[in-house]
Amino acid sequence: MKATNEQTVLERAKQALNDEFLRNAVKLTTEKLKNGRLSAAKQLGNWEEWRERARQIRQHTIAHLDYYLNQFADQARKQGVHVHFAKDGKEAVEIAIRIAISKQAQTVVKSKSMVSEEIHMNEALEQNGIESVETDLGEYIIQLAGEMPSHIIIPAIHKNRKQIAELLSRDANETLAPDTAVLAGYVRKKLREKFLAADIGMTGCNFAIAETGSIVLFENEGNARMVSTLPKTQITLMGMERIVPTWDDLEVMATMLPRSATGQRLTVYMSGITGPRRPDDGDGPEEMHVIILDNGRSLQLGDPEFQELLHCIRCGACLNACPVYRHIGGHSYGSTYSGPIGAVLKPALNKNVLEWDDVANASSLCGACYEACPVKIPLHDMLVYLRRRKNEAGAGLCSEKWMMKGFKVVMAKPHRLRAVLKAGRLGQMPLVRDGAISAHLGPLKGWTAYRRFPALAKPSFRERWPHLQAELKEKARRASVKEHVQLRLKQIREKRTKKTGGNRDE
Amino acid sequence: MNEQEQAQRQFIVNISQRLGRPMPKTPPEHPFRGAPPFWKEHTRAIAADPARMIAQFIECWQQAGGEAKSFPSLDGLRTFIVDTATEMKARAFIRHRHPLLDELKLEEELSESDWTVWDGQRPEEMKNKANAADIGVIVADYAVSATGTIVTMSSADKGRSVSLLPPMLIAIVPASCIRSSLGEVMSQISAIGMERMPAGIHFISGPSRSADIENDLTIGVHGPGIVYALIFEDR
Repeated sequence: MKATNEQTVLERAKQALNDEFLRNAVKLTTEKLKNGRLSAAKQLGNWEEWRERARQIRQHTIAHLDYYLNQFADQARKQGVHVHFAKDGKEAVEIAIRIAISKQAQTVVKSKSMVSEEIHMNEALEQNGIESVETDLGEYIIQLAGEMPSHIIIPAIHKNRKQIAELLSRDANETLAPDTAVLAGYVRKKLREKFLAADIGMTGCNFAIAETGSIVLFENEGNARMVSTLPKTQITLMGMERIVPTWDDLEVMATMLPRSATGQRLTVYMSGITGPRRPDDGDGPEEMHVIILDNGRSLQLGDPEFQELLHCIRCGACLNACPVYRHIGGHSYGSTYSGPIGAVLKPALNKNVLEWDDVANASSLCGACYEACPVKIPLHDMLVYLRRRKNEAGAGLCSEKWMMKGFKVVMAKPHRLRAVLKAGRLGQMPLVRDGAISAHLGPLKGWTAYRRFPALAKPSFRERWPHLQAELKEKARRASVKEHVQLRLKQIREKRTKKTGGNRDE
Repeated sequence: MNEQEQAQRQFIVNISQRLGRPMPKTPPEHPFRGAPPFWKEHTRAIAADPARMIAQFIECWQQAGGEAKSFPSLDGLRTFIVDTATEMKARAFIRHRHPLLDELKLEEELSESDWTVWDGQRPEEMKNKANAADIGVIVADYAVSATGTIVTMSSADKGRSVSLLPPMLIAIVPASCIRSSLGEVMSQISAIGMERMPAGIHFISGPSRSADIENDLTIGVHGPGIVYALIFEDR
């Protein structure tokens, strides 16, 4: 299943639903991650207070992003980092390629970076004759398969052990048993050589700390540490919203991110990297570059409906909570970012409404994403805003528009509605069985293919209304009579106590 | 103004414009800095009880798949390391240059093994030695009991590779270095100052792991798969 952007989300989802392994694997993994998050939250305690604090810090940072980004760049430069700013993916790629060429690099080893996927860095490196090796186990597997990640945290969620064994066997030129230890052992050995020989290490960036100009990487395997320790040059790709003001604030992010992603107290490695190696250090990169990317992010700033999108810390909790994602998997979304966050992020970053994909419709608006989000981004509201904007831009479905117009005409006059209902009751007669329609017919097909459609009631609510209204009026009259009588009784009682009372105390 | 700085200016001006105001000249008021107050109170209470911190650290470290043990004396610590290394049939060691490790004199006890003490002046040799070593030995700069984490900061004497390249890691954790929360270590890092910031600050919480193949937990994917945190009760 390759990146198939020409297809609609519906077609891609159909493909995914027919893949039983994929469906089970996604279900199993998301369930496991979700339960991990819930038990980690419970174990920590006061989860709602933590969420609120994380939201406050993210909101504060994004509201002052210009200040903190500037501070970060200045501090990082003081530590000897080359800080680059790229307004779009093309610029970021150009900067990275320029650095790679100036270093006469032959091999780049990479640790996980969603930004790199977003701007198609691997393709660009390969086009310039530079080998680019993903070193996260899951990323390495999907790179061999030539695919896109289907989950933010577990990129090869859709591959089974046998498929992985086949891919790695081809890579190794020998047959490897479909055994996790054997496969992981092969990758360890193979990639260790790559780490030691590579000219450039390329990383993503989970957080950047403004006060000291440091970048912070969260990971479990150790590959991000390898990439930022062994090669002579390090290039870090960073979305411009990844800032936190201080190390103190990092404690909150470090509390929320691993727990929300996998249910861990902390990832096995959390590395704060501040500039290239010091003159006396024996390892670490001699030269360090940070490329800060906008690529549509700044378009969200000052937009009250979407600014909070920049609060996202890329934990993937919304994917695991989403009933739609859990059924159709990441590739159905047709972009680097999948799940609820992807459904909003992709069109929001592109901003050109008419090119918006239909992924915003792939949601039941149940709000599970919001409840799972460690920084409380109202993704379900944003999906509604997206749909509204799409309609306002005239990109709504033609049939939907005509249906709405027809609805307006019918509902405007009572006699029209009466006539339509009467016609409907006559029309449905041949289709109704046991008070419901199950024939796969015309516009009803989308519904009746999976469930029964209730038939129009014999006397409609409108037809029953005169009778119901009379009944209600009668009830109300009786109640008011009762009330009237009770009021009279109460008054009589009060009079009596006034007459008899008071004698004793006076 | 060079090209990079110009790009930065344009980039930042665009953000200020989108936010609809000029860029703040003074640091913005940041009332929600760091962890919520209840957490600070909670961890302060734990910090008052060193034995509780040690127990909490050991529990978390073990839950993550690491081995942990506490030692009241250097002799006990030395014996344990020697026995473990012998049992593992480890032949090559690399360690940080640290007074506590000098005092342990592991080289004398394990004299038939190949020992390398980190020296920032010989980077190529260090890289090869770390890659060939069976066990890396370090002294943690800090540890965090709430998360079961050790913290190591790079310097000329403390290579990052030592805790990363060998398949097994032994980290000695002086009890006086244990803190109850990440936040306490974070404020220490903030206080280091720009001139003396280490290039690499690494928080390690167990063995290297991955669940990327069918959710099946694999240990030791790139970093060490066997990790010992040995607490030395120095207070």
